[in-house]
Amino acid sequence: MATNQDTDLQGLTTTDSSEGVKTQEMLLNLGPQHPSTHGVLRLIMTLEGETITGCTPVIGYLHRGLEKILENRTIMAGIRYMDNSDYLSPMLNETAYVGAVEQLMGMEPPRRAQYIRLLTNELQRIASHLVGIGTYGMDLGASTPILWAFRDREGILSLFEALGGSRFNVNYMRVGGVLHDFPKDWLKECETFLDTLEKNMKEMDALLSGNEIFMSRTQGVGYIDPQQALAYGLTGPMLRASGVNWDLRVNRPYMAYREVPVNTYVRQEGDCYARYYVRLQEITESIRLCRVAIDKMPGGAISTRTPIALRPPRGESYFAVESSKGELGVYLISDGSEYPWRAKLRGPSFINLQIVPELMRGHKMSDAIAILGSTDIVLGEVDR
Amino acid sequence: MFAMIVAETAPWYQWAADLWKGIADWNFLQFVVAFLTIFGFILTSATILVLAERKVIAWMQDREGPLHTGPWGLLQSVADVGKLLLKEDIRVKHADKLMFLLSPAVFMAPVIAAFAVLPFSPYIQLPGGALTTGLVFLVAMSSIDVIGVIMAGWGSNNKYSLIGGLRSAAQMISYELPLVLAFVGVIMLTSVLAGQPGFPGQSGIGSIAPYQIMQFQNSAWHHTGIGILDFIFQGFTPWSWFFLFQPLMLIIYYTCGLAETNRAPFDLPEAESELVAGYMTEYSGMRWAMFFLGEYGNMTIASAVASYLFLGGFAGPGVSWLTAQGPLLWGFVGNILALGYFVFKIYGLCFVFIWIRATLPRLRADQLMQFAWLILMPVTLANILVTGLVYFLTSALPTWVFLTVLAAINWASVFGFIWLVGRVTTSTTRHAQAPAIRAQLRAKPAIPAPALRDGVPARVALPAGSHE
Repeated sequence: MATNQDTDLQGLTTTDSSEGVKTQEMLLNLGPQHPSTHGVLRLIMTLEGETITGCTPVIGYLHRGLEKILENRTIMAGIRYMDNSDYLSPMLNETAYVGAVEQLMGMEPPRRAQYIRLLTNELQRIASHLVGIGTYGMDLGASTPILWAFRDREGILSLFEALGGSRFNVNYMRVGGVLHDFPKDWLKECETFLDTLEKNMKEMDALLSGNEIFMSRTQGVGYIDPQQALAYGLTGPMLRASGVNWDLRVNRPYMAYREVPVNTYVRQEGDCYARYYVRLQEITESIRLCRVAIDKMPGGAISTRTPIALRPPRGESYFAVESSKGELGVYLISDGSEYPWRAKLRGPSFINLQIVPELMRGHKMSDAIAILGSTDIVLGEVDR
Repeated sequence: MFAMIVAETAPWYQWAADLWKGIADWNFLQFVVAFLTIFGFILTSATILVLAERKVIAWMQDREGPLHTGPWGLLQSVADVGKLLLKEDIRVKHADKLMFLLSPAVFMAPVIAAFAVLPFSPYIQLPGGALTTGLVFLVAMSSIDVIGVIMAGWGSNNKYSLIGGLRSAAQMISYELPLVLAFVGVIMLTSVLAGQPGFPGQSGIGSIAPYQIMQFQNSAWHHTGIGILDFIFQGFTPWSWFFLFQPLMLIIYYTCGLAETNRAPFDLPEAESELVAGYMTEYSGMRWAMFFLGEYGNMTIASAVASYLFLGGFAGPGVSWLTAQGPLLWGFVGNILALGYFVFKIYGLCFVFIWIRATLPRLRADQLMQFAWLILMPVTLANILVTGLVYFLTSALPTWVFLTVLAAINWASVFGFIWLVGRVTTSTTRHAQAPAIRAQLRAKPAIPAPALRDGVPARVALPAGSHE
């Protein structure tokens, strides 16, 4: 059966078999307004039937010029803008930014502040992973996990509200420490919450992890080689789900992580299920870390004295934290003024997104959603 | 023909008087009552089910659901319907106009038609309720739905709609087969029971009318003369309901019902996370509401048929006894009771629909097909074979031996089926996904893999020729 292929201007292939059957690839525009592109990602996909033959992500719909904004704000004012980068984990973003400034100034926050940072970072990681898992369930058509996840996340947001005055854009970290000490009974509330969360996570595990449909939708879908993962620069749960044991909290420990050992969870499968499961296990690990931080919480000051007009010395610094999505790095160049001369973010979502077109080729259209959901990207960080 | 004979032999006023007599007759009144009940039930049950779904899912998901319209949000559906009626009917400019405008009606009409063969109580039933080929009619009507969906998918001139419509076509046609095959086991049971003492029908000739299948399930009680027992069990014998002998077929029928009605986990045609709203994407206002009505009507039909074939229909304590007392007072109470039992069973099964929706994720298109063709079809065929074989082996023995053996085998195979589904879905999925994985393994990145040095990735070696 001789076939005759032809490619038109849009890059769509028309196949004309000798039997008179003419098939044409279909161009499908997924997004930017689509329920499961996690914001405003746009995917231009070429489909042959329901099989994906090509995929091009188009980004930039949420571009706010974040790096430029940071360069035009004083360093203290910049902390607040970091909240909007990866809007699901503001605490982690702030820690990265503040850490870069501290590294530039060669200062070390007090131990208590470091432990507070660890505690809030781990809570934030839980919140972010909860959204990741919940929306992943939603992408695959299960409506319950997302609502359970958001119910639990609500507890974390309430704790943040009690701590920093704001639920979402907390603006809690400061150069040299944190903004406030804990309110009365905050730690007790936090422990109660962690107990509830642990129970709820078992429920979530029972609902989703062992589900036949969930497993058959995710296992073997979107396979990433460990070598491929390293070559694409993936970090975070996406890398650990491909069998590479790399976690900045362990391999390049910073702040209180130098004293608190972290267990990493690695899976060898490299598929969507592995990515989901690594996130689920990291929540368990984060709960443990929170408890450790509460137990070991040292006394003392929560912040060093820093000048109101912060003028870091001339120089450059790169500071990376293990964010919920991967390695979140902040690169600062200071010219000795109150403003960073250059601020550059290494957003893990942006880098994790690059492998998506590679993964989608050959899969069905429904799998595109499963693969995209498993990368757990946040468009605020991709577009910046 | 009857009217013609009358007209020939009698003067016109005689004919008119006969006509009037016919209209005022009990049968015509029955038709009016039944029509109004059934039609009203279809239309109101959709709104009730929407509200019930939202409330039940909210309860399962730890939230409140609609709260603000009316007491405890009870009027939410009323408000929704009002909104939909007042909404602008948007038509897509480049749509296929005829298809686009006609498809909601094509989707909705068979749903209403299907109720013609579903009696609600001994009295509330359309004349079609006695249709001896009721099941065939039901299946035929549910097949017409597909055409409405395809028309909507094609006529909308939208890619999401098109994919949704085509998915729906493949899905509904595939699941029709195991659905019908699941009926066959029940029909075989009726033909075994037919002609036995107390059971209706001729020996060896079963029935495919829902009403008669219901009677087969509720005829095992013989008049004892003890008042209270007769009152309860006259025409209500739950120990001979067919789900006890064919539980696996109930499960399979119900699964296929889920697929036929496009409900989770088979809601691929309107998967909101993939296809926005599938074939309904371009519809708004009352046209959209007609799809919705049709869908919830389908859900009701699937539940109703399940209750007829497996769960004894509208039979319940007191129905037969009361309706036998006379048409007026006690008969009325009996009919209301029957209606209550029937609606209770329907909504009980609809609750399971909702429960499943809150629990399960969605299947993928190829997995859906695999499930229908590789699992459901062989299992239903095997069930027919096993039922026939058991009857063949026990034909010399009394009927209760056959029924006991069949029940034992079927209940055992329920667990076998669950095990099988677990195994087969996973392995066939892996099999189907293998090509994609292989393709990815072949398409290794051009950059060679970096070596790992005690957990620390080495610098990625760039290919020769590329500048650092």
